[in-house]
Amino acid sequence: MADAIVLKSLTKTFGKTVAVRNLDLVVPEGALYGVIGPNGAGKTTTIRMILSILFADSGELTVLGKRSALDAKDRIGYLPEERGLYKKMRVDEFLAYMAHLKGVYDPGLKRRVRDFLDRVELGNVEMKKCEELSKGMQQKVQFVAAIIHQPDLLILDEPFAGLDPVNQRLLRDLVVEEHKRGATILFSTHVMVHAEQLCDHVVMIHKGEKVLDETFAGIRAQFDPRSILFEPMDPLADVSALESVNGVLSLRREGSVWDIALEERADPAAIIRAIAVAVAPARIELRRPTLEDVFIAIVDGTSTVAGDERTRLRASLRESSHAMEVRR
Amino acid sequence: MKKILCVAKREFMATVTTKAFIIGILITPLMLGIVVTILPRMMNRTPPKVVGEIAVVDPTGQVIEGFRAYLQPERFVERSNEISRDASDKMPEAVKSVVAKSAGGQAEMQRQIAAALGDAPQLTVLGLEPGADLEQAKSPLKNSTTNKSNEPERLALVIVHTDAVQRAQGKDRFGSYDLFVRSKLDDRIESDIRDGLREAIVDARVRGSGMSRDEIEALTTVDQPRSRTVTAEGERATNQVFNIMLPAAFMFLLFVSSLTSSQSLLTTTVEEKSSRVVEVLLSAVSPLELMAGKIIGQIAVGFVMLALYAGLGILALYSFAMLGLLDPVLIVFLLIFFLIASVTVAALMAAIGSAVNEIREAQGLITPVMMVLILPMMLWMPISREPNSALAQTLSYVPGVGNFVMLLRMASNSPPPAWQVALSIVACAAGAVAAVWAASKVFRIGVLMYGKPPTFGTLIRWIRMS
Repeated sequence: MADAIVLKSLTKTFGKTVAVRNLDLVVPEGALYGVIGPNGAGKTTTIRMILSILFADSGELTVLGKRSALDAKDRIGYLPEERGLYKKMRVDEFLAYMAHLKGVYDPGLKRRVRDFLDRVELGNVEMKKCEELSKGMQQKVQFVAAIIHQPDLLILDEPFAGLDPVNQRLLRDLVVEEHKRGATILFSTHVMVHAEQLCDHVVMIHKGEKVLDETFAGIRAQFDPRSILFEPMDPLADVSALESVNGVLSLRREGSVWDIALEERADPAAIIRAIAVAVAPARIELRRPTLEDVFIAIVDGTSTVAGDERTRLRASLRESSHAMEVRR
Repeated sequence: MKKILCVAKREFMATVTTKAFIIGILITPLMLGIVVTILPRMMNRTPPKVVGEIAVVDPTGQVIEGFRAYLQPERFVERSNEISRDASDKMPEAVKSVVAKSAGGQAEMQRQIAAALGDAPQLTVLGLEPGADLEQAKSPLKNSTTNKSNEPERLALVIVHTDAVQRAQGKDRFGSYDLFVRSKLDDRIESDIRDGLREAIVDARVRGSGMSRDEIEALTTVDQPRSRTVTAEGERATNQVFNIMLPAAFMFLLFVSSLTSSQSLLTTTVEEKSSRVVEVLLSAVSPLELMAGKIIGQIAVGFVMLALYAGLGILALYSFAMLGLLDPVLIVFLLIFFLIASVTVAALMAAIGSAVNEIREAQGLITPVMMVLILPMMLWMPISREPNSALAQTLSYVPGVGNFVMLLRMASNSPPPAWQVALSIVACAAGAVAAVWAASKVFRIGVLMYGKPPTFGTLIRWIRMS
């Protein structure tokens, strides 16, 4: 399979600030990649360089087989982080204009605009001026503008920012639809939950440098915390007996839940069965690493991160309760 | 190219369909109409309808009657008509016929005279004895203008000198008069009092010397016939107003059309940047394509304005049978210079618009550009009077202002030689190319740059960086 995006040692500086440093990245065609990292990590700069909106100080890139995205703009869809519409323009006119700029001139364009608006549940707004729409509606119109020409490569910069849970779900479904259609998708987010929901491959950027480039399966294997979450049916139950279960390393209480650490070579399935026999469980599950945990672990491992900074990082990476609702 | 035209089309439509543009395009002819019709009325020299008396102490006894006759209401109307006749004589024939038609002919003229008589000042001349108490004669002048009694208000006191009509023994010069007026007397009334006294005293002097006033006037008056301009196409009456106004009209057309469209370009660029739609556009077109499209779109807007105003002007000349006075080659050069000027100014405005976050911030950067652009407007009169002066020639080759200056010179009475026109076009076109080149560098960086508004120094650094 060919590669949709290839970046080699890409570096971009603004004055004395290094926004992106020696970034290597390969995104195969048809993949759904998430670029994650806290605010100011260099995600948007990377995306702008991929799109040839900004030009790298050094390094090489290939986009859809071209040396510059300028040669493949009509095959790329882009939803920028900083979104905008022509306030005085009608929605259908704006979408038609964007389609024209992307090389779509077919006579059925009006119908296509209507169909796309229907897909994002905005069938009744095509004749309205953009300024008359709510912020969420405007974001959906902008998303339609990014996919109206059915791009081969769709780049979404923080696509869920500012959307309510219902619209986040709608947008996520549309992204999945585009992926199923065959589009390569690269999206950036600082909210790890969004990446966990959508991506099959994650690239982490921190302070302009790539710190992780891995599939989800690989991340789970690499960052397996080897622990079990256990909540007894009876909150007052004596769980000390669990320490004697073969393969259990230690017990640690986290509120009403116990974190049971496992020995390196222990079989989690056998241990879960043994725990369930020893103490009646209300909930028992293998702990999975979250991207947030992985990110913090990597940052901890690669640099000295003070307690306050770690807290800030976590806050930056964590989504509001809305996203959690969507996830459930 | 298709994308550039697509951007240009949107830019054009987004500008010409706004209320601001439609109002703006109408406001200029409207202002011209006001200047032509209302301003002359506001500057009306006809004295106001004033009722009052003028006391005159005339020891010669030869001035007062002539003065009284001069201030009769009928004479005010007569003089007013004379001024109108003079103005009418200077009008082109076609305009005269239009005015005559609109006035409704002779009957209308009579009606106007009757109305004018009612509106003319009603001034009574009161003769005082030569030995009258002057302080007492002056005291009514001190009274308030709101006179409750039926007696006419005293507006002025005139004391004619004893030697005003006949020289005093051993003197070379005649005497004159003293004039005392009440406060806030209308300057036009005072002017009529002075004119009346002058007429009456001169009349008395001429009579006293045994000569005829009519004879003297006949001897000292030479009619000034209107000159005729001789051209290869034939002779025609010289139109001095046209000759003076034509260069200014051409420069004004060029200025308004190129600057208005460039202002729109600035506004739309700032709007696109501040509404953040620019990044969406840049995912579809390159910065250069975007800028080129915007410039082409706004040049089309300027061309609409130019065509509209120039069309109206040509229509007016045609209606007044004056189209023959216009050299069609000038129209061709107007279009050439419009294109060059528009590209230059639009490129500068696009660069400024891309560099700032809001219109307010653009003011600091626009001011120097505007100062340069209005230079030819300020130097209109000296350049049209001396179209081949060193100043005019030098400015013709300065990009940015050369277009305006050269057009002004070409429309003047002494057009420059062809090589100068060609050199000016080359210099200004080179300036336009340089402006587009520099603007594209600034545009590429500025359009995605937010925060502190840049200075000229920053813009130059961006050009170097690119």
